[in-house]
Amino acid sequence: MYLLEQLVNGICQGSIYALMAIGYAVIYGVVGLVTFTYGEIIMMGSFSAFYYFIIFGDNLVFALIAGFITAAVVGIVVHKVCYQRFLDAPRYISLICTIGMSMFLKNFATIVFGSEMKGMPAFMSGKYIELGSIRIAYMQLLIIGVVIVLSLLLTVYLKNTRMGMKLRAVSQDKKAAALVGINVKTTTLIGNCIGCGLGGVAGVLLGIYYNSVLPTMGGMAGLKAFSAMVLGGLGSIGGAAVGGTLIGIVENLGIAVTSSGLRDVFAFLLLVIILVVKPQGLFGKKGN
Amino acid sequence: MIDKLKNFYDKRKTIILLVLLAAAIALPFLIDKGSVMSIIVRILFYVILASSLNIINGYSGQFNIGHAGFVLIGSYTLSILAHMNWPVWLLFLVAGVVTSLVGFLVSLPTLRLRGIYLALVTLGFSEILRLVALNWTSLTGGPMGIKGIPTPWFFGLRASSPHNYYFIVLLFVILCLFTSHRVINSKVGRAWMSIREDDHAAMSLGVNIAKYKSINFMFGAFWAGVGGALMAPFYTFIDSSMFSLDEGFNILSMVIIGGQGTLIGPVVGSVVVNLTTELFRFANEARLLIYAIMIISMMWLRPQGLAGTSRSVIANRSLGRDRGAFFRKLFKKKEVK
Repeated sequence: MYLLEQLVNGICQGSIYALMAIGYAVIYGVVGLVTFTYGEIIMMGSFSAFYYFIIFGDNLVFALIAGFITAAVVGIVVHKVCYQRFLDAPRYISLICTIGMSMFLKNFATIVFGSEMKGMPAFMSGKYIELGSIRIAYMQLLIIGVVIVLSLLLTVYLKNTRMGMKLRAVSQDKKAAALVGINVKTTTLIGNCIGCGLGGVAGVLLGIYYNSVLPTMGGMAGLKAFSAMVLGGLGSIGGAAVGGTLIGIVENLGIAVTSSGLRDVFAFLLLVIILVVKPQGLFGKKGN
Repeated sequence: MIDKLKNFYDKRKTIILLVLLAAAIALPFLIDKGSVMSIIVRILFYVILASSLNIINGYSGQFNIGHAGFVLIGSYTLSILAHMNWPVWLLFLVAGVVTSLVGFLVSLPTLRLRGIYLALVTLGFSEILRLVALNWTSLTGGPMGIKGIPTPWFFGLRASSPHNYYFIVLLFVILCLFTSHRVINSKVGRAWMSIREDDHAAMSLGVNIAKYKSINFMFGAFWAGVGGALMAPFYTFIDSSMFSLDEGFNILSMVIIGGQGTLIGPVVGSVVVNLTTELFRFANEARLLIYAIMIISMMWLRPQGLAGTSRSVIANRSLGRDRGAFFRKLFKKKEVK
């Protein structure tokens, strides 16, 4: 029974990871570069929600939008500083740039927002539904719901709109996309903004889930997103969703069996094992 | 300018090296302050760590971003065994060998992987090691860390002050740079570089890629372990927070800023990075902001690193041309005003 409850927790947490991973997959797919700034973008998203709650009161929908917009704006800055010049250069250059940028944002947030932990308002606390003998909190359902709605929206956007088609074209082949008249520069920027925005929303959800925000919360979150994406297969959006959920479940079942200090060990262990057994990820194409 | 310096060095190799050695030995007699000396000792630690990472990243082109994990193994090996009354001098070697075995284990899964996958495995591995060290309280002291690590004896002196400890570290730095130099100019080093340039071509020329990649990881891990082991008696206290991913990124930035794939690069990088962060100590938290800006501007202006030549492949022409255009634009605007 305890394990079943942990499974529910795992699915809820995993759905947040899944959203982060989807954002990361969009960025990786469109830009084609790995970023270490993503965690800090998540952190920025959750901080924007924190200040939104202070200034405008507890409105979750608008807080999510605020998180999306803030993260997308930070995404533009990151794009200008770390990607735009280095799209054709050796990959590690932009990678180091994103490491520097992540360091910058983290310390910037520490200086501006303060290094202490800040509390987020609780939503629908104490309410839950009982399924048999498992309790599922409304908040968990809400988080899972938001993630599912956003992923569906993203899928529709990518499949059915003109911009989505451009994004898919750029992520498949930049040169060919340029040949058929797509403005690759703008499209990459937009794709990056969408990915970062999704990360920001995930950051808001993360802040609500843990009831707290912290300038250093980004590091581990970004790594989890990265792991989840690689787990599903680089740049594959559906794979990223599955990978994120899987990491959440494995983590929570793992700490149910051992101690809670080892939470992150399970995530990385799963990742290493998958990479050794099936290097292209669960849903990745061969030959990458 | 770097090329001119290189020419100058090539002509008067022995004299320059002797002068540098003499200067390095004379240094502690010229500096009284213990705090300044401990900064210098720290620079030397990072020379070893950055050089060992450079062996992996710069010479065989594998992308290791979890170097802090190797340092952790070295540090903890020495600290744990030193509390069981093993002689500290022997432990420097033991820590190196243990870490090199761990490096071998890490290299096994990574033989099949390249680029970002490899980076991710090293990163995950480094984080796993840190978390295990944090949670295995009976062996590693958990969050309390390990205290009271004994300092080694050196010529009948207990090397507890930075002035005395400097010589021990200097000895290992020279050993590290010397062995690296020898290995890189041997058959093994050439095999590494051929793998870096093109592993398919290397394979077709009969280079056993798996073997040399493993050796590469083991060699880099060995010196990382020795570097980590050297740190423990100097600080007399270690805990797992000293070996976080940020620490790994820190070492990586030193290699990149100095110039990877050159022997002198990590030395330059370690000196520059540590001195800058020390100089801006008065700025407290903003110090790391300055460090971050330094890393980013380095990538914008000189991606091949300070010691890398402008003829390097990385300093490619598209970047250079772009930069020229940027400055021309800047000056044009000024003229209009």
